[in-house]
Amino acid sequence: MSIIDAFIIASFTVPEKIGVSPQSILWLLPLVASISIVYKATKMPKIKAAGFLKEVVVLFGSIVIFMAVTAVVLCALAWLITE
Amino acid sequence: MTQRSKEAHAMFLVLVGLLAWLVPGAGHLAINKKKHAIIIFVTIVLTFCTGLYIGSVGIIDSVGAKPWFIAQLMNSPAVATLGRISQAGNYAVYARPNEIGQIYTSIAGLLNLLCIVNAVYWAHIERTETIGD
Repeated sequence: MSIIDAFIIASFTVPEKIGVSPQSILWLLPLVASISIVYKATKMPKIKAAGFLKEVVVLFGSIVIFMAVTAVVLCALAWLITE
Repeated sequence: MTQRSKEAHAMFLVLVGLLAWLVPGAGHLAINKKKHAIIIFVTIVLTFCTGLYIGSVGIIDSVGAKPWFIAQLMNSPAVATLGRISQAGNYAVYARPNEIGQIYTSIAGLLNLLCIVNAVYWAHIERTETIGD
């Protein structure tokens, strides 16, 4: 086994170091991107680069904005209940 | 459609569904949608590999996390082999990386399930439009 093979296998057998911090929420962004891409690929009968990219960006933005608004509302509710 | 062509059509739909499950995007390739196939394959495989990279291969746990494993299995039957490797190897898996890795790999599986249904649907629509039934 070469060093490169060993390195690749090793990187999939040890977890990354991700703490319980607000920054760890950012891991949702790549996931939202892949959901947007696959969903739009299933919805568009014909794919053209510009149109597809636009649709993906709009969906990605909508999901992120909706999640941010939901987070703010939940924070406000939690604040109102606890204060 | 005659009885024979109906049977052939049903067999074709099953074949498309199976191909789409075996390799993400292969169902779309079978119905001649190359761009869709490439996009689906690259995105789903990247999402799945990112999940494995974050949480280690130990996140594929067919015993301790059965509901997650079922969703992960939607990626491809090859995931079952990874599950066996994971069971035999006793790989480290813990806390937040475990959660994020499981979410990534399971979402990749559910996205592939969407693609399987979509490929079968388009295969059905295209065939019935051609035959006119």
